[in-house]
Parts: sequence; C-alpha cells; structure tokens
Amino acid sequence: MNGQPNMLSQEARARIDREVAKYPTDQKQSAVMAALRIAQEEQGWLSNAAIESVASHLDMPAIAAFEVASFYNMYDLRPIGKYKLTVCTNLPCALSGGVHAAEYLKRKLGIDLNETTPDGKFTLKEGECMGACGDAPVMLVNNVQMRCFMTPDEIDKLLAECK
Amino acid sequence: MLELEIDGKALQVKEGSTVIDAAHQAGIYIPHFCYHKKLSIAANCRMCLVQVEKAPKPLPACATPVTNGMKVFTHSDLAIKAQKGVMEFLLINHPLDCPICDQGGECQLQDLAVGYGSSSSRYQEEKRVVVNKNLGPLISTDMTRCINCTRCVRFTQEIAGEMELGQAFRGDRAEIMPFIEKTVDSELSGNIIDLCPVGALTAKPFRFAARTWELARRKSISPHDGLGGNLVVQVKHDKVLRVLPLENEHLNECWLSDKDRFSYEGLNSPDRLTKPLIKQGGAWKEVEWNQALDYVAHAMRDIVKEHGPDAVGAIVSPHGTLEEMYLAGKLMRGLGSDNIDCRLRQSDFSGRRAGTPWLGMKIAEINKLDRVLVVCSFLRKDHPLIAQRLRQAVKRGAQVSVIHAADEDLLMKLAGKIIAAPSQLPDRLAQITKAVAELKGATCDLSVAVGAEARKIAESLVSGQNAAILLGNLAQQHARASTLNALTQQLAGYLGGRFGFLGEAANSVGGYVAKAVPAGDGLDASRMLTEPRKAYLVIGAEPELDCADGVRATNALTRADSVIVLSPFKSAAALAYADAILPVAPFAETSGSFVNTEGRVQSFQAVNRPLGETRPGWKVLRVLGNLLKLDGFDFASSEAVRDEALGGGAGKPEFAGDLDNIIADVAIDLSPGGGIERVADVPIYFADALVRRAPSLQKTKDAVTPAARMNAATLAKFGVKAGEQLKVSGGGTPATLVAALDVGLPDDCLRLAAGHATTAAVGAMSGAMTVEKA
Amino acid sequence: MGARDLIQTFFLGELRQGLSVTLRYLFSPKITIQYPEEKTPISPRFRGLHALRRYPNGEERCIACKLCEAVCPAMAITIESAEREDGSRRTTRYDIDLTKCIFCGFCEEACPVDAIVESHVIEYHGETRGDLHYTKQMLLANGERYEADIAEARALDARYR
Repeated sequence: MNGQPNMLSQEARARIDREVAKYPTDQKQSAVMAALRIAQEEQGWLSNAAIESVASHLDMPAIAAFEVASFYNMYDLRPIGKYKLTVCTNLPCALSGGVHAAEYLKRKLGIDLNETTPDGKFTLKEGECMGACGDAPVMLVNNVQMRCFMTPDEIDKLLAECK
Repeated sequence: MLELEIDGKALQVKEGSTVIDAAHQAGIYIPHFCYHKKLSIAANCRMCLVQVEKAPKPLPACATPVTNGMKVFTHSDLAIKAQKGVMEFLLINHPLDCPICDQGGECQLQDLAVGYGSSSSRYQEEKRVVVNKNLGPLISTDMTRCINCTRCVRFTQEIAGEMELGQAFRGDRAEIMPFIEKTVDSELSGNIIDLCPVGALTAKPFRFAARTWELARRKSISPHDGLGGNLVVQVKHDKVLRVLPLENEHLNECWLSDKDRFSYEGLNSPDRLTKPLIKQGGAWKEVEWNQALDYVAHAMRDIVKEHGPDAVGAIVSPHGTLEEMYLAGKLMRGLGSDNIDCRLRQSDFSGRRAGTPWLGMKIAEINKLDRVLVVCSFLRKDHPLIAQRLRQAVKRGAQVSVIHAADEDLLMKLAGKIIAAPSQLPDRLAQITKAVAELKGATCDLSVAVGAEARKIAESLVSGQNAAILLGNLAQQHARASTLNALTQQLAGYLGGRFGFLGEAANSVGGYVAKAVPAGDGLDASRMLTEPRKAYLVIGAEPELDCADGVRATNALTRADSVIVLSPFKSAAALAYADAILPVAPFAETSGSFVNTEGRVQSFQAVNRPLGETRPGWKVLRVLGNLLKLDGFDFASSEAVRDEALGGGAGKPEFAGDLDNIIADVAIDLSPGGGIERVADVPIYFADALVRRAPSLQKTKDAVTPAARMNAATLAKFGVKAGEQLKVSGGGTPATLVAALDVGLPDDCLRLAAGHATTAAVGAMSGAMTVEKA
Repeated sequence: MGARDLIQTFFLGELRQGLSVTLRYLFSPKITIQYPEEKTPISPRFRGLHALRRYPNGEERCIACKLCEAVCPAMAITIESAEREDGSRRTTRYDIDLTKCIFCGFCEEACPVDAIVESHVIEYHGETRGDLHYTKQMLLANGERYEADIAEARALDARYR
C-alpha cells in the first residue's frame, strides 16, 4: 500500500477509529468486520480498493480483510441493486420451502442468484442460516430487515413494498 | 511430564504436547495433511482423527493436548473408520489427474488414499473446479487439487512474515488465493511447494520435467548466502533438475530460500563453458587442457620473471570452495605474492584483526536472543533464513532494533529504528554505544550527542539478558567498515553481549580460514585494483559485478598484461579482458567445503559429472601448481586439501578454529559526509555468478532492473518525478536510469543496486554520486 | 522272442503300421499354414509391436505420466517430458528399445489413457540393432496405421477389463 491513496472518506475513517478503540491497541484488526461494514455503507459495495483501504487502515494484510469480506454474504463484492434480497437456502429453510422461494424470486425477477435486475432495483443472493429456522423460509432485505414465512404471496407483497 | 498410552504403548511426554507429538515420539504414524511441526495448528483437514478413551467422538490428534492417563488408539476400528470417512470427503472434489500431476509419486494425498481411500467413489455429482492463480514465476498452481489444508497460508503468515495468501470465500467454495492480482513475492516462497501435501502448488521451473522416482538424490551445500543451507540436489541424466532442503535444525531447519532452491537453473545456463579458451591474436580459440594450462603457467612465470611476484594479484570469489581458495592462496604465495583477496565487495580493510570474523554465535542461538541490534543489513534479502529466525525470536518476545541506510520492511516488529545516510551511520552507532554506556554507568570517550531514537534503542538493548549485535552486508561493505566494527565491539562490551558478522557469501568465513586474504603486507581487494597489477588470477568471480568498484576492476583488468579467469561461465566482460578462461566446475560438479558464517565446516561431494571438459577448480589449481614447479601441490583428493587448509590433522572438524571478531588499531571516524550518497544493496538475485544466470529467479520482482531510488525530498531537489529518466554517475560512466520514489531512504541518498549490468559502470558501491536530469 | 514276434518281423508288420499312418495323413485334410499367404488367428490380447495412439481428433493420448517407464521390467522405455506451449503435459521423447522389450504388456496395463498399446503386428524387422529402437514418431505412425485394428481389439476385450 505504498503511496496508494486511501479511498475512504475522513468521516468513514473516524467511524472506523471509533470501532478500533473498542479493542486493545495491538489488536486493531479485530475491528475488521465493523470497518468493512462502514466502508460498504459508504461505497455501496466493497471494491478491491475499498478492502485494501480498510486493510491498510487497520495495518493488516489485504488478503486477510478479503477473507472476511468474501466469507460473509452481507458484504457485497460487486455492485448491488437498490434492494438486496437474501434468501436462506440452508437445510432447514430448504426443507420448508426456501429453495422454492428462491426459485419463485428468480422467476419473478427474471434473474439468477448473485444477479441484479437490469433496472438496478433488485439483487438476489443466497444466504446462510439466519437463526430463524422455525419461521422458514426466511429472507433478509438489505442486510437489516428480516422477513419470515415467505410464501409466494408474501414475496409478492414484499416486492410490491420495495419501490 | 505426562503419562499416556498410545496403541497400548506407555510413554511419557512433556507438558503441553499434543497427541500427534506423543505418537511421533512413540514412533507411531498418524495420517495428517494440515499438521506441520513448524506451523501453527489448524486442525482443518481432520485426517488425524484418533480414538481417545472416554471421548465420545474421534478427536484430531494434532489439536488434542495430552492429559495424564490418556489412552489413545490410532488404529482402532473407530479411528480407521473416521480416517476413511475423512479421506472420502477429501477425495470428493479432488480431481483424478494423478498421471499429469507433478506431485504424483511424492503426494501425501496419493499415498494416504492408497491406505484409506476406497477403490471407487460414491460421489456422483459434479466436482468443483477452482480457477488457477498466478503466483509468479516460481510457483505453478492447480487449485482444483487443493484440499484447503492452509499450510501455505500459515507459512506466509508465520514464517515468511507477510500474509500473501489467504483462504477466501466459505464452505465448499473456499479457495486459497493471493489478494486480487497479487503474486507471492516472498524470498522464501518456494517452501510452500514443499509444504503443499497435494499437487496444488508445484515448482514452475520443474514443471513436468521428471518424476520423483527418476531422480537421484544427492546431498550438497548451498553456495550462496552465509547460512550454508543443506540441500538435496536431484539429478537425472547428469543434469540437476531440482533442489530441495535437507533438514538441518542447526541451519536451514526444513526451509530453503528461493535463491538456494532455484539457482540450480544457472547450472544449465547456455553461458556454461565446456572447453578451455585462449585468446590468440585477439581471437578466442578452444584448446585442450594441457595446452591451456601450459599457456597459463608460462604467462604467470613470465610476468613473475619480468615484473616480480608482486605484479600478480588473485581475485577470488567468496562463493568458491575452501579448497579452491586455499590452493589459490598457496599458488600465489608459492610465486612469492601475497596479493590475494576474496572480500571483493568490501572497501575498508583498516585495523588489525585478531582472527576470522564470524557470526559470533551459533546460528541456532539467534532464536534464543532477546535483544538484537541489526546494523546495516538488507536482512530479508541478504539472509532470508536468518531473518526468519529473528522473526521467530520477535514472536517469542525478543526486541529487534535496526540501524540502517534504508528503511526496509523486515516483516517483524521493531523496537527501534535509525535510518541515516551511510556516512552518518558511524555517528548514529556511536550514539547508541554512548547511550548504552551511560545506562550501564560505564565511561565512554565517544564525543557524540545522543539522540532520542538512539536512546530508545539503547534502552531496549540494556533491558535484556541475552543481547547481540549483528553486522550486515552493508556494514561490511561500508566505506568505514572498521569504524562500525570497532564501535560494535565497544557496544557489545558495554552490553555484555555478543556481536558478529552476517557472512556475505557461502564462504566468507572460509576465505579467512583458507588464507585467501593477505597474510602479510599483500594487497587487499581494493588496493589490488587501485594499484593495478600486471597479471590477475580471477577465480569464480565476475569482478565487474562482484567488486566494490566495478569500474575500477574493469579498468585494472583491461589494462593488465595477462588475466587468467577460472570460471564455470563465460561473460562478455571476461571475454573482453581475459587472456585465458579455464572452465572450472560450479558447486554441483566438484567436491569441496564451505565454512558458513557460524564457522561450521561443511564438506560435500559432486552431485553430477562436470559439463563437457569442465574440471573441478581444486584440480586445476593443483595441476597449475605442479606446472609452476611449486612445492606441496601433491594432493590426491579435495579432502587432503581441506585437511591441510584447516590446519593439519586428518578428518573434518565441525567448526573452523581461530574465530574472533576483535579488531584493534582502528581510527574511529565519525565525521559526516556530504553530497548525494550512494546506498548500494546487492539484490538477492544479482549476488553471484550462478544466481544471475537462473532465468526463473530473474523473472521475479526481486530481480527487476535497478532504478535510481530516492525519497521525495531528494527527488524534488533534482526536479524529477518518479518514472522520469536520470543521469547518474559515481566516478564511472554516467548511466541513464529511471528515477523511483523510495520513502524509506534518508535525505540526500540515492539507492542504486549493485551486481547488475545496468549499474556496473556507474562506479563504486559507496561514496558520492552526481545526479542530473537526463 | 515268441512266435508272434517272429511273424510280425517276417511280414514287416511295424513297417506296414507306420506306412498306414503316412497313408492316412496323405489323404486327410492338411493343417499346415502357408505363411505368409495364410495366417493363424490371433487373440485380441495378443502383444505385438508397440504403437502410440491418438484420440479421434488427432490429439496424442500420451500425457507423459511415465507409469509405463516405471513399470517396464526390461527398462526398455525412455521418456522425457515437458510442458507444451498450450500448457499440457506431453512427452518430448518416447523411445522403446525393442531389443530390450520382453513384450510382457505391463506398459499397456499401466497406461491410464490407453496411449501405449501392443498391436497385433508381428511382421517387422530391423537390419541393424538401431532399427529396433522405436522413437515417438515411429510409434505414433504405428498407431495411425493400425488404429482400426487396435480399436477393434480393445472393443473386443473391453468387457474383460
């Protein structure tokens, strides 16, 4: 990272520093998940340059930050649409209609998993267990809003809500 | 001590041992992939599952600590069933391409699949495919074969010091990769090839060249850095095809630097000579050995007769064997001349040495140091595996400080760091010395003002129990090397610690032992060139690249009446200045010995037959001695030469005698210099004739064409930007080079690598430079 | 010697018996094969002259795994391998010294891609010893020449493999 400009804003860096302060001084990289989240909020998605900036800010190898960013599906390594719908397809969900929900969404939106609709509105992703297997099938909207019992009717309702 | 029972065998192990350690101690093999004794424990391959009494499920032997009274079954039905189950999972996505895999025949997965795999697969679904990664010119990848043991990741992180690889994505999509578009550039990168238990990472230069069972394995010693790494050289049809480490805990452990591992390609270089060459009437002619030797003997005898023995000088490569050096010295002294030197890149020979300068300690003791000051060393590139040992020491709590002319990332935490122009380094070292003296309450007559950083380093140094100061290559090549040596000596005295030199070359210590340095009032490497001789004997060296001042060397050699070169390689420069070139064997084709930087004498045999008419150097020099009718040249073997060189008794002592770093009669000079000073590193892959001819190493990032590197302030001073052309000169022909920004340099310094054709004509490795915009 | 033997001897009994065999075979069908006009049938597993095969698209099968070289009990096979321009593993040299070869068929058995095979060809010769040193080009040429025959033999033997 010699001399490469850091693409994070002053404000983002200040927010990251607040996260860093929560950990012992010699363990800055503990804040990597929060830092990546802050970077993603600012940039919309995590480009390689953004990951590298986060890594250099936390004095950690870029690949170590990339490991984290690629592990969790809340981090987006490609630009996404306005609404990101994450469908859980882990076993309990899959058995209770998760796969069908995903199929229904694919048909409805005309895109495959990890794709974005041409109008840039929806991105479809496959997610890992969200800890609500009893409410299967579950979906996550934009990483924050969880929706349960997503039958086709519910999905239609959800899509109608997303303007 | 803990007591346990493995497969019915009772044994005692140290507290904190794991089950796999205990099994190893008991001589019981537990199959494993991700476990490696030198790396941290990951326990992610699950191959080492064993049954432990009272544990409900099989446990991974590598990550299960031994408890008192534990009963372990490594081959019980439960353990075998678990291991077979793991093997089936590992093979699910592993391609069945053993016939085209370079690992075939030496693959842990292949071997264990024979024992634990089933004869057919139950997996009917699609296998996964992983895109190959470009890891640079040394490592070839077939990532679909990867079983995600993460040994390579842990190696780059823990041993090489920089995490260049990682495991990205998750679950069945996990893959090992460098960060996007990056390659693995560590100087220790080749070790991940050995570590990879499957064929995912293989050696690019060796790709598809041979099968392991076709290769003869022969032991040898690395001819490059001062470590003296132990090698297994693998040969097929008299051609070296691969070099692997031979485990030696005292030296290289189970690692090898890329230089040692891939330099063998130079052995098969098209530059290799196959017949003696003589220049007749300006044209080169291939001749027979007897003709060539007669010619050489005559030439030398004539020069001695006409101009006296003092008109002859010998320039000996510090990468040559002890035997060659000793016979060269004996030959010169037989002729009546003491002009012989192998310290080619050094320029300050003042002061009186008490003995052979060496590391001052055993290499293995480096790991136990708790306070270290590294003086002027491009440590990672000059001594990759010693840097690795220091890195491990730092992890265990040692404090390492650095005083240097360039801020190099050593990939370890530093306690203190002083970066100053070369001419100011003696002053800075004196500051540390004075600060330590003050802290220790000793009297010190150095009149320097102690700076804050020097005090910080001093405080770090005095706070430990086991301190050492290591003088790197730049300290030895420094224009005031003796001053640095004397100051270090003083500093070590105050500290009650040790100090020593990180040997520049494989046989830097051996050069002193073999008396390939002036014994009396003979001329040293520098004076031999400033006061040109009539005839030169050049052994193994390429003076235009290997000497402190390549320009002066070229001039002296060009002007000499007779230049005899003994080398495995021909070069354009040698063809221009030499009168006879005798092809002598490189390390793989001769027997000999190297004395490494800790004084360890390591002898080796030839691993293959010499190429063409090439002959071992010691034999050539012996016959030359006979032809010159000198006494004491009747050696029957290289062992006989070695025994005489080491001072008498037959048989090889483990360590050379007379090792002593003490220097006396040094006029300590702390004056600052002026102007633009050169900081010359010898990049790792330009350091000697062999490695300069290894094509794969020459494609690495460490072998890029040298640029004129300066910090931002200095660049601004000349009004140039990085990437623009510069005209640079240091007494020789000005060279046009690309300017580059190096934020790690002090002001008014120009970092310009030596050992490369583009910078050879510029001038001396140290001193003032003139810089102008081209 | 009894009277019976005496009569046998006097009337040349053994001679007649012998001649009767001659006479019988004189008129019975002949089993002599008129080689080379006629040939005996050969098993699909017959191990004759070696050949290197190609895939139908013309790509050579051999991938330089060197298993045949390793398994050869007579050390008759010499292989050198390298990376081809397209990155695939190929032989740069594949020699079989037929003066060493004992036609055991291990090479065929070891081959994971059915590249080296022993054809049904037995009619070849060399006038000097060097002529029996088959190079990669010669072996590939054999493969091209006898491919139909080789493929048929493989197909016939397939269900026993």
